[in-house]
Amino acid sequence: MSIKNNFKKGLNIRNLIIFSTLIFCINNISAAEGGPCKDYGKCDEFKYSLNDMASLQRGASTFLNYCYGCHSLQYSRWGRVATDLQIPEELFFENLVFDKSIKPGDLMTGSMSKEKSAQWFGVAPPDLTLVSRVRGDDWIYSYLRAYYEDSSKQYGVNNLVYPGTAMPNVLVALQGNQKLVCKDIPVIANNGGEKRDELGKTITKEKCGYLKVEESSGELTKDEFDELIYDLTNFLVYVGEPAKATRERMGWYVIFYFLIFTALSALLYREYHKDYH
Amino acid sequence: MSEMVGKLFGWVNSRLPIANTFERHLSKHPVPSKVNFWYLFGALASVVLIIQIVSGIWLIMPYSNTEEEAFSSIEYIMRDVDYGWVIRYMHTTGASMFFAVVYLHMFRGLLYGSYQKPKELVWIFGCAIYLAMMAEGFLGYVLPYGQMSYWGAQVIISLFGAIPYIGESLELWVRGDYYISGITVSRFFALHVVALPLVLIALVFLHLVALHEVGAGNPEGVDIEEYLDDDGVPLDSVPFFPYKVLNALVGIGVFMTVFAIIMFFFPEGGGYFIEMANFEEANPLVTPEHIAPVWYYSPYYAMLRAVPDKLGGLIVMGSAVAILFVVPWLDRSKVASIRYKGIYSKIALAFFGISFLTLGYLGTVGVTEVRKTMSVICTVIYFAFFLLMPFYTKYEKTKEVPKRL
Repeated sequence: MSIKNNFKKGLNIRNLIIFSTLIFCINNISAAEGGPCKDYGKCDEFKYSLNDMASLQRGASTFLNYCYGCHSLQYSRWGRVATDLQIPEELFFENLVFDKSIKPGDLMTGSMSKEKSAQWFGVAPPDLTLVSRVRGDDWIYSYLRAYYEDSSKQYGVNNLVYPGTAMPNVLVALQGNQKLVCKDIPVIANNGGEKRDELGKTITKEKCGYLKVEESSGELTKDEFDELIYDLTNFLVYVGEPAKATRERMGWYVIFYFLIFTALSALLYREYHKDYH
Repeated sequence: MSEMVGKLFGWVNSRLPIANTFERHLSKHPVPSKVNFWYLFGALASVVLIIQIVSGIWLIMPYSNTEEEAFSSIEYIMRDVDYGWVIRYMHTTGASMFFAVVYLHMFRGLLYGSYQKPKELVWIFGCAIYLAMMAEGFLGYVLPYGQMSYWGAQVIISLFGAIPYIGESLELWVRGDYYISGITVSRFFALHVVALPLVLIALVFLHLVALHEVGAGNPEGVDIEEYLDDDGVPLDSVPFFPYKVLNALVGIGVFMTVFAIIMFFFPEGGGYFIEMANFEEANPLVTPEHIAPVWYYSPYYAMLRAVPDKLGGLIVMGSAVAILFVVPWLDRSKVASIRYKGIYSKIALAFFGISFLTLGYLGTVGVTEVRKTMSVICTVIYFAFFLLMPFYTKYEKTKEVPKRL
């Protein structure tokens, strides 16, 4: 059938009705909703790499040094983390486990009592085993980098991703003082390009709400800090589902098996099909 | 040796109708020689049923049906039980796939008139299976005792409360407590793993027995019983075993590949198969920002929300499922298949399909004014498809159905 015929066929009344109904539906229902990253806008994209052991090990180290004081990983076991992250158990327990009575089979139940911490912070710091599954990895990666100074708040900081968050910026010494700043940005004309004045200079407008770290106020550069948060998020993705890397590896074999299965049964079917055709 | 086996088989067979059953339902059971892919979904549904039963049995072993441990026992399965994650994802993916193939199977029925005389009972048993599945799915969703389990159950059980006079006592009776608690979880567990699977298996058995009595249909709507060979076997048929079994096997292969892709690479299905909020333990004090059912209930949820009155919504939702049961008596067409039906039936089915999908989408997102209007329009189309069926199928011009396949 020629393209023209196809086109003609596609234009008959029935299809037209179906098509226009569909367009009507889609246009009307896909109204925008506030994103999960709130004032931050679109969450930064995070691509996990669960086979990068060095990254996971650094992430685990950051978590245990900076986060574990308040946040438990109550469904995860110490020994499992050491094994999965390929950290020799001795080294792991010597350097990353601070309570010497802990055994490898123990759950990482945290070191702070829920009642006390609720008194101290107003709300008990949540368990983070499944945070990557509840909030998503993009959210964590954005959240931990979206703190800014706000003297009106209890701990002097606020967060664009989670406005009014109860958590202080624990990593401030590493990141430095991040502030909300204003920037001059080009005004966009109706045709989609930048608006210019008669002399050809771009017309700008002041817009606020951008994050900027005060120069050399932290131990790490911006890139180094982003990498630290990357590793930490990567670790939380791992803890959220320790079998994830295995799952994705095993999946290929299972799919391969079923492809062979399908091919063989298709051949057999074709052979039998000859009986009646 | 072979003589002994033969003797043993003879001994058993004279006491149990093995050979007869095999011949009647498999090797000599005639099925239409020409069908298309739409006819595979029944077989796929039975494959998923088996997957659900087997994976379910293994999930029961480490699962704990108490308020304190339900949620953590799921994480225990995901982490500490060897290949527990395989079993669990098999079950969660299976739940979604069960509904996916059943929806396609039902649509096939509407497409090719698989409910017309003499297949009314096959259709009715099918509808009953669907109803039992909806209950089974709901009960199962509560068991992990996450936030969505809790609040989803809250919404659904509170619907009972809308029934006049007996509503509140009924609600309490179903819940077993004044709010959803461990008591609710443990009774839902009993219903999910024993009561409803028994009902489902019995209904599937009846569905198949009735089907084998009246014979499978075909996309042409041709009655293959009209032309028989000298042995009384329809000319346009092939034995179920091995021909249809092999045909189904190819379909199963393709289906299992898709199943594996989802299970191993997208088990959460983008939050549609396992909702993100359900990774948080049930908390009666915190309502999730946005309560949405899993995708396979969302069309009905959209209908529920389309009606401002709770009881009205419940009636609309119930009628939407109930109306399926009477479809065999709503269709007055002389022909079975959409291929030979008139333009009105085609337009009606297209509109029905689109509005059902749209309702499905609307049930998963938050409510706005426009969406609410859309839900109302789509709900009206949904019911119009059925209620107007006696008229448009009776008065439209149909095409001549061929004599042979």
